[in-house]
Amino acid sequence: DSHTQYERVGADVTMKCGSMDWDAAVTWTANGTDIDESHLNGSYLVLKNVDLSQSGQYSCYEGSSWHLKYQTFLRVGTPPKEPVLMCRSNNYPKGFYCSWHLPTPTYIPNSFNISVIHGTKDMVCEKDAIPKNRCHIRYLQLFSTVKYKVTLTVTNALGKNFTTLTFDEFAIVKPDPPESVVARPVPNNPRRLEVSWQNPSSWPDPESFPLKFFLRYRPLILDQWQHVELSDGTSHTITDAYAGKEYIIQVAAKDNDIGTWSDWSVAVHATPWTEEPKHLTTEAQITETTSASTSSFMAPPTTKICDKGAVVGSGAMTVCWTAGLVVAAYSVLFI
Amino acid sequence: GDSWGIFTFLCAALCNLPALPALNCSEELGAGQSIQQTYDLTRYLEHQLRTLAGTYLNYLGPPFNEPDFNPPRLARAERVPSATVDLDLWRGLTDNARLAANYRAYSRLLCYLRVLDGQVGTAELRHRLAHFCASLQGLVLSIGGVMSSLGYPLPTGPAGTPAPPGVPAAPNDFLKKMDDFWLLKELQTWLWRSAKDFNRLKKKVPPAVVTLRLEARGF
Repeated sequence: DSHTQYERVGADVTMKCGSMDWDAAVTWTANGTDIDESHLNGSYLVLKNVDLSQSGQYSCYEGSSWHLKYQTFLRVGTPPKEPVLMCRSNNYPKGFYCSWHLPTPTYIPNSFNISVIHGTKDMVCEKDAIPKNRCHIRYLQLFSTVKYKVTLTVTNALGKNFTTLTFDEFAIVKPDPPESVVARPVPNNPRRLEVSWQNPSSWPDPESFPLKFFLRYRPLILDQWQHVELSDGTSHTITDAYAGKEYIIQVAAKDNDIGTWSDWSVAVHATPWTEEPKHLTTEAQITETTSASTSSFMAPPTTKICDKGAVVGSGAMTVCWTAGLVVAAYSVLFI
Repeated sequence: GDSWGIFTFLCAALCNLPALPALNCSEELGAGQSIQQTYDLTRYLEHQLRTLAGTYLNYLGPPFNEPDFNPPRLARAERVPSATVDLDLWRGLTDNARLAANYRAYSRLLCYLRVLDGQVGTAELRHRLAHFCASLQGLVLSIGGVMSSLGYPLPTGPAGTPAPPGVPAAPNDFLKKMDDFWLLKELQTWLWRSAKDFNRLKKKVPPAVVTLRLEARGF
């Protein structure tokens, strides 16, 4: 015969040996180890001011026969403190989810009950399998004037506690951070970085509920961020990067009109394009497998800028043009 | 500062109204741009409302100005069409229905706000309300302009009358305050909804539509 006994930390615990009389002769063990007689009050086991380490299996045996009479599984813990509850709509306008946790562990099993009331209506918050302390609700109506009231009650063998959240539909809208953030250098542009990203996959309808974005970037060597707010599109070109410096870049999202900003996305690093020594490529070499090859030849600086063999892009032409202008300007000065 | 903004909006809005067959202004502006302007105006109003509501609720006093105040909706006749709508229904609204719902709602809301304006005590509140009503008037005109430029008829209704029939006056002071509370709540919710309504319209109505309709009318 056995049972589980829950007790608070710091309490004085008395364990009886089942239905044995007070004056019966018994021996107690804790997790198999004999317990000293000083803890006994007749056949009762008394533990004063229990702590967590005293949780375990307590068994009592009849004195002479060593017959196992009773087992008590002692679990020392605390009643629950006020739980922490958070509700958020990262998939507006589909619905919202609530998640919760206890600020301090109770060391014994807890059960959670969540209730959602919208005006006079009771709504069901469907519990998620993973993660456990989470449930979600589908909106039945949009643009509601009535607030939602969510009450979370946590109960265990030693007590209960609860917390309530009341909010408007619009107040809890917070998208997930943008995904697949990519930052690339722009060829032949030593001060540019091209950043692109995607809408968070949890946002169901970016067409009708467009997101706006906030981009922040700084070179690793500085502490000050630069910010750009973008009301459209999922890409942006940074044009004022310091040449040759590695940058850290992050993006956040927000519904265009309501709610709050998402957390920052995963940070990406990128360094703007810098000039490299030119490789000599002949027809034969192009067919070879591309692997890093050291160049044995460095083109003279003057031809490098307007090198016809270089990658022809608008960038290269602009540099060519600018160089021409500079040369022209200087020649005018020296006439 | 603020008054110039309203003035500009009002002018742009008025410009969109059909004077006669010659829809010169809207031809140039395009329905797309007027939708953008109407959208911007709802955002401006939403921002203005935050300050106005704060001041007004403080004027009403507790519990109306408490952030957690969450009263049940009393079974009084709903004065203003509610912004609340089923999601699929909202998605499926035609452009005409969408615009008409906005037009009707703001016409009624403006009506009730004007009544409020005549009743409030403090000068500051009267000033704020008057300012807000002017902007709200601009919004109604702007929506009307968009509807006309797209060839939709303006919804008829007792937009001008101060107290639409069928709605009894509140029997006591507390219930009157409750009515005011819900009026502001409904207004706030409509402004949030309108931003989404006009977002959808923006995507669906390119400026080219206007010229097509004008050709069909033989102008």
